[in-house]
This record gives sequence, structure tokens and C-alpha cells, in this order.
Amino acid sequence: MSKVFKSLIPFGIFAVAYLALSMVVTNSYYQFILTMVLVWASFGLSWNMLSGYTGLISFGHASFFGLGAFATVLAHYHLGISPWIMLPVSALIGATAGVLIGLPTFRLRGHYFALSMLAYPLAFMYVFQWLGYPEISLPRERENPAAYMQFDDGRIYTLLAMLILAAIVVLTRIIETRRFGMALIAIKQNEAAAEAAGINTLGWKLAAIAVSGGIAGLVGAFYSVVILVITPHSVFGMLISAQALTVTMFGGVGTVWGPIIGASFLIPIAETLHAELGSYLPGIQGVVYGIAIVVLIIAAPEGLYWKARDLFRGRSGTGGETEMPKSETPADAEALATVTPLPTQFRTSADADAEPVLEVDNLSKSFGGLKAVQNVSFKVPAGMILGIIGPNGAGKTTLFNLLNGFQKPDEGRVRLNGGDVLGEKPHAICRAGVGRTFQIMRPFKRMSVHDNVKVGAYVHAASEDEAEEITRAALHEAGLDGIAERMAGGLTTKDLRLMELARALAGRPEILLLDETLAGLGKHESEEVIAIIRRLAKSGKTIVIIEHTMQAMVQLVDRFLVLDHGEVVTEGEPEAVTRDPRVIEAYLGKKWASNA
Amino acid sequence: MNIMRKLMCSTVVAALGAGSALAQDAEPVQIGLIAPVSGIYARPGQVMKMGAELGVEDVNAAGGIECLNGAPLELVVIDSGDSVEKATNAAQRMVADYPDLVGATGSYLSSFTLAVTEVTERANLPVLTLSYSDLITERGYENVFQTSATAGGQAEIALPIIMDLAEEQTGKRPETVAVITDNTAASLSSVERMKNGLLDDVGLELVSEEVFTPPLSDATSLIQTIRARQPDLLFFLPTVISDANLILEKMQEFRVSVPTISFGIAIAEPEVLNTMDPELLDGVMSAVANWGAAGQEDLIQRLKDEYGEPWMTQNAISTYGDMWVFKAALEESCSRDREALGEALRNLDGGPSEYYPGGTISFDDMGRREGASLTIIQWQEGVPVTVFPEELAVAAPKWPTE
Repeated sequence: MSKVFKSLIPFGIFAVAYLALSMVVTNSYYQFILTMVLVWASFGLSWNMLSGYTGLISFGHASFFGLGAFATVLAHYHLGISPWIMLPVSALIGATAGVLIGLPTFRLRGHYFALSMLAYPLAFMYVFQWLGYPEISLPRERENPAAYMQFDDGRIYTLLAMLILAAIVVLTRIIETRRFGMALIAIKQNEAAAEAAGINTLGWKLAAIAVSGGIAGLVGAFYSVVILVITPHSVFGMLISAQALTVTMFGGVGTVWGPIIGASFLIPIAETLHAELGSYLPGIQGVVYGIAIVVLIIAAPEGLYWKARDLFRGRSGTGGETEMPKSETPADAEALATVTPLPTQFRTSADADAEPVLEVDNLSKSFGGLKAVQNVSFKVPAGMILGIIGPNGAGKTTLFNLLNGFQKPDEGRVRLNGGDVLGEKPHAICRAGVGRTFQIMRPFKRMSVHDNVKVGAYVHAASEDEAEEITRAALHEAGLDGIAERMAGGLTTKDLRLMELARALAGRPEILLLDETLAGLGKHESEEVIAIIRRLAKSGKTIVIIEHTMQAMVQLVDRFLVLDHGEVVTEGEPEAVTRDPRVIEAYLGKKWASNA
Repeated sequence: MNIMRKLMCSTVVAALGAGSALAQDAEPVQIGLIAPVSGIYARPGQVMKMGAELGVEDVNAAGGIECLNGAPLELVVIDSGDSVEKATNAAQRMVADYPDLVGATGSYLSSFTLAVTEVTERANLPVLTLSYSDLITERGYENVFQTSATAGGQAEIALPIIMDLAEEQTGKRPETVAVITDNTAASLSSVERMKNGLLDDVGLELVSEEVFTPPLSDATSLIQTIRARQPDLLFFLPTVISDANLILEKMQEFRVSVPTISFGIAIAEPEVLNTMDPELLDGVMSAVANWGAAGQEDLIQRLKDEYGEPWMTQNAISTYGDMWVFKAALEESCSRDREALGEALRNLDGGPSEYYPGGTISFDDMGRREGASLTIIQWQEGVPVTVFPEELAVAAPKWPTE
């Protein structure tokens, strides 16, 4: 909580300064602009909550905004219900609409999601037109106007807008620093990886769209109170959805400051230009937005906030960058010391006959006519390092995908500690104890190494404190204590591999599936990583690793499983497998055959 | 924030500059014209501006506001844009940037007027309007004054006249009618009133009702419906000139020759002739709130000479008349205070109406002009002329032949 509180101090200063400015503005139109800046900033934050954090771009936030606005005006117009009551009700309507829209639409991803979201406000626009509301205004209340949120003094609206914005900012900051926010950011970086890290992605996405829709509904309701007259076009129109995107993308996506910065710049400029030049140059607002976006895409594609932050950090951060190799030297030395070229001496004490952690029985998967995995059976006893090798297309990654639930096998069984995990969702399998890393690294670049790892720690953590504890332990196990606070975006490949490993470890897995963890590493780096993996195995972790680098694998694994065309060719001790003529010729090439 | 402050400063400077340049012996009295001068409704807004300018010119030539030491009227034009949102925004700017305005007139489209008056009412600024949606004066607002007969009222007056004319000239009363209307507030008010009893009263059966949102991109389906239904009459309620053109063109293309009665002025703007053959328009009638009529020949000639307008539409004549209403009320209130002007307008007794058809220059409790009637115009030999009421008519009506 104190972390949240601390981060809110700049916002508090901003709010006080802004309200002070509002107090001295006497022109009612400029006061109106001051209110609108806050309204659009709030709406931008609503969009940010879903799209900024999860990366699922919504072109349809006007749906929630418009429903809130229409609910408020219609309730006042037809039933005489005060906007004071309708603001929270509109939030509820927005949240419900969010879930109802999210359920079918989250089946889609990327551009398909974005375009489908576009359809909802357009549909609502026609529905409300058809219902006979080409325009509707809030009735003016002469008796007791304050009870209907009607004030002669525009400063009160600015104050109310600031209260709404402040509430949203606090909510966003709390979510940002919690499991919720971490889950959303993880989804943005790589939904598959997030699911593999134990995150129930659909659940969190629905939660995000509900919160986001709720905020948008509330903001729409307040907007209608300030603007007095609404039309389907003015609240469900494309410009409304675009407004949320524009202010957020201009200011910075995925941060609470983005929409505030974006709205503070764009709204006054566009409104003033429109007011001054609108009659000579109609549509000048659109031109300003267009130019702002083009300039931004070229100069600061992630928004002003991140650009400014990078510039600031860049200056003070260069020193840290150069220091890094020095601080890592001891670790390198240690790694070199622990790895020797003769693997037999370092073999883990895993007993091949011990109770298996993972038991795979007759697993098969076909994609049309291609049999990617055929009748694969193997067992992995506790503490063993099993290496899976085979040429490209042998079915190694598909096998991993079957094991962690990304794909459903056509037949066969997968048992984890004796329990059947077949057909479970990836996040459930992760929870059951299967951690994995990916061939292509997907770090959460804008987060620190610590936060990257923490995403994985929520799987078994009941509280923030426990998640923190698990994170620290995982960072230590992966040898990342020294660089825990660095941004993931600036890490070397080796550190990224270790960070992914730590993230998987933070899920407290029974068994780790490592997909080409050594790919792209130099000799020394790879030796260092091997040392860490061996240390993990010694501490009792069971590990299955896919790898191309034969040399490294020979140093590392207890047993090999050789795949080709989805089938097991052979299985056994590294010495035996590397001498097997079939393996040598088919998978290791003639060079190895002559060396053998 | 800095940028905004700078812009705010420049606004203030610009406003001051404009004010001092126009100052005369007696400080002028500011009247606002808030109407669309950009976008798809720009044309009617520009014509309103012409009418207002002529009105201000004539009021000032006649000695300005005598009670205020002959203070001249000064017109402030505010672009309401082409959407309800822009109109609301423009109204907010108007009340903020021109604190000295005593009254305003606007905003052509009823939808805009509804929005604008939500803002002006809260600022106690009296507004005269030629818009005729019934809703405008059904909200119980004190400072909104409708100079035209309301849409429902116009339909009520026009329908019996049209039926009689048809019977008189064809020997047969029409029995079926189709309606094509856009969904702007005034059009919807008219159609609402027709469906709620008016059609029954005159013995017309509604066989088809097509509602569209302006601007229209294609009229084919609308016209095909009419062709299939074969009504005796077509009531046509567009507000955007291009929509009116599109539909009339399609009717020609599909050879649909149902006698067409329009409501509103969109089919009688000079622009219609840019794309339509005047012969094909011949006989098309429209019920409008106001039109240049008999007795206003000099004014119509000045409009032609000064602005090149071939004829005087409702927008020009009503807005011209508004300036005289403001003068009359300002003489009564004898004040630059907008609330005093509102009070004067509510109690005004300006005698028989000179620039609006029928009734007097006085407003009832709802803010509707008392006794307001309408004019019916008809395209005859390439010009829309007033054919009703008789005292204002410049030509006799002819039933549109099939």
C-alpha cells in the first residue's frame, strides 16, 4: 500500500495545481475544456485498463461510454432519477456490458479482436437511433438543481471530474502493483507464456474488461451531465473510441500517466483550434489529431511518457550498463569451475527406477495428415535431467505443448505425480506443477527482472508478501540477485534465459520444461547456465530440456530421449545414445560418426 | 497548460480588438447568430446570415435602438457546425466568449436548436428560432421563442389545404400516402403529428414510412418502396439539400411520378437546380414555415443584388424578421441586460406579423408565436413561389400532374 501511496504523490501535486488553475479560470468555455481534459483522461485510463495492460486493442470503448451516457440521460428524462444515482449504476451497466462483450470477443486475438470490438458501438448507435433517440438532453432542473448534478459554476464539474480521475488513478495504481496488473501485463507480452506461467488468462481478461467497461460507463455518464445533449453519434461514434486511443497512445500506453498527459496536451489544443478556426477550417480538430499521431508514431511510438522516461533513464543508466560485466565476473568463474567436460562424474543421483514425477504414455498428436507426435512414452523420475533431442520438425516443441496443455493430444495419457493432467488448461497444469520456458524469449520488457519473475510467483502465493518471498527465492536460484531491479528490456540473452527460468521456478514447479534454453548463448554463457540448471537438479527439481547444442547437452543431461518424425528412436544414457550409430548418422551427422 | 494559457490570452486579445473596432457613438448591442456556416448544413446557415445582416442594416438605418441612445445592433456569427455535438460546443463557446450578448437567433436544424438552447437557457440568454420541432417549446424553457408554427402545427394547417387542392384540381381526393423522412427533430415532429390522428382526420391511409439518417448515400431502396406501393401522394421531409436532390433524382431515374408534397425548405434551395432539370421539378410543393412573399419585393430584390440569391427562402426572411423582433423587445426592455430582454419578449405585443406568415409578434406561455401559420410554396417555371396563404401568394397553386 505504501508503494501505491508513494507513487500517488506526483498525481496529488498535479491534482492540486490543476484545481488551483481551475479556480482562477473564469471563462466558462475554458472551464469546460478543463473538465473535458479530465473526462477524456479518465476515459483513456479506462481504455488503458484493458488495452494498455493486456495489449488487446479495443476500437470499441464507445460501447461502454455510450451505454453509461444513455442510461443516465434516459433515467433522468423518463424516470426522473438523478445522475448522482446513475453514475454508479452506469458503472455497473458498463461492467456488465464488458463481461457480455468480452465473453464472445475474447475468443479472438490481435487484429480480429480489435475489429470485432469496433462493431459493438456501431450496432449500439443504430439501436439507439432506431429506438427513437436521434438526440436527447438532460432536463433542466429548476428546483434543487444540485440534487441532479446541475451547477451554474463550471468549477464544480472540474472538481467532480478530478475526483473521478483520482479514484480511477488510485484504482489503476493498486491494480498495477497487484497480481491483477501483473497478470494483465503478462498477457500483453505473451498470452501463451502467461497461461503457461499459471495465469488464468480468460478470467483476468474478463475482469479487466469489466473494470474497464465500468470506468467507461461511469465516465460516459458524467460526460452526459457536462455536455447536456447526447446523440447516438456523439457517444457511440468512432471518434469517441478513437479519443480513448489517441489520448492514451499520445501520452503513453500501459501507464497511469499516459492518458493524463495525452488529454492535457491534445484536448486544449484541439478545442482551442476548433473554437478559433473551426468556422474557417472545419474539422481542424481531426487534422490536429492526425498530425499528432503521425508525429508520435515517428518520434515516440510508445507515447510521451515512455519517451521521456527513456531519455531520463538513458542519461543516468549508461553507467549501470557498463558496470554490468564486472559484477558478473565472479559468477562466470564459479560457473566455469562447476562445469567439467566429463559429464558422468556430475550425473545427478536420480534413480531411473524411482517413482516417476512425469509419466507419458502413448501420446499422439496429428495435424491433418502430419503425425507430429506418435505413441511417445517415457518416464521422468524425480531429480532427473532428461534431454530431448532430434532434428528440426521431430516434434519436440509439440511434445512440450502437449505436456503443458497448449494442445490437446489425440490419444495417450500424461500423469503428473500419479494424477492425470490430460486436457487441463495450461494455467491449471502450471498450478499442478509443470513450469516451462520458451524457445523464443518473451520478457516483459517494461518490467524489472524482479517483476518479470513475480508474475510467475502468483501461482501459489496467497498474499503479496508470499509472492515477494517466492520471487526472491527464484531470483536467487537463477543467480539473478544482482540484477533484480534492472529493466528486462536491457538484458543480455543469457540473463533473459535465466530470467525466464526464474519465472518458471517462481511457479514452484514439480517439473521444469526447458525449450532450447541454451540456444544463442556463447560457450561461457552456456556453461554458466548449465551450472545453474545442474544446481537446480541437485536441489531436487526434475527437468526436461529440449536442445540442439549437442555438446552442451552431453555435459548436462542424465538421459536422452531421441525423437524423429514424432516417434521415439531411442532412449538411454548419453554415452550409449551418442554412440548409437542410428543417432549419430541421422541426427548428429557424419562428423560425429567419424569422431566416435 | 502553458500552450492553453497562451491560446486563451490570444482569444481575449482578439475579442477586445474586434470589439473596439466596431464601437460607435453608443456602444452597440450584440445579437448572436448561431447557425451552421460549415459542413453539410452550411448553405442554410449562410442564407440566415444574409437575412440577419440585412435586418441589422435596416434596424440601424432606422435609428437603432432609440431607447438606448440609438445604439446600433451588432451581429456576432457563431458557427454551430454540422452536428449536434458541434452545436452544443459552439453554444458553450458563445455564452463564454460573448458575455455581452443580449440575445441570439438560430440554429436552422431543430436538432441543433434543441442542443443550443439547452446551453443558452442555462445562461438565461433569450433565443429566437425559426426551427419548428414541437419539442423545442415543450421543455418549459423561458428564454426560447419559436417564430415558426411548430412542425405538428404546420402539418395540421397544410394537410387539409393540400387535400382540398387535390380534389379541386383532379376531381378526386387522394386516399393513400407514403412518407419519406429523415430523422431530424423537426421532420420527426411532423410525421409524429400526422400519424397521431392527422392522416385519419383528412382520410389518408399511410402505406409506407421510410426513415433515414442524413446524409443519405443511396436512395434506391427508398424509391423502390414507393414504386412498389404506388401511393396517391408522397410526403417528403428532408433537411439536407443533398438528400433532397438524391431522392428527387432517383424518382426521375426510376420514373416514379407520385405527386410529391415536401415539408421544409431543402427541396427549394437554389442548389437544387445545380443537378436537377427545373422542368422535372415543376409542380413539386412544399409546406414551409416562411418564404419571401407578396409585399416583400424590395427586400427580395436587395437579397438578389447584394448576395446574388435568386429567391428568398425561409432562412433569409425569418432571420431578417428576428432582427426587428429584437428591436421591438429592446425598445420595451430599454436595457442591455439579457434577462430584461427575455422578460420583454415574453410580454411583447408587437402587433400583426410582417415578416412571418400569420398571427402577431407576441409569444404564448410556451414561447410559441401566437397565431403562427405557414406558407406553401411550389416550383413553377424553375422558381419556388409562394402559393398559400392567398394574401401572401405570388402565384396560384397547381396540382402536380402525374
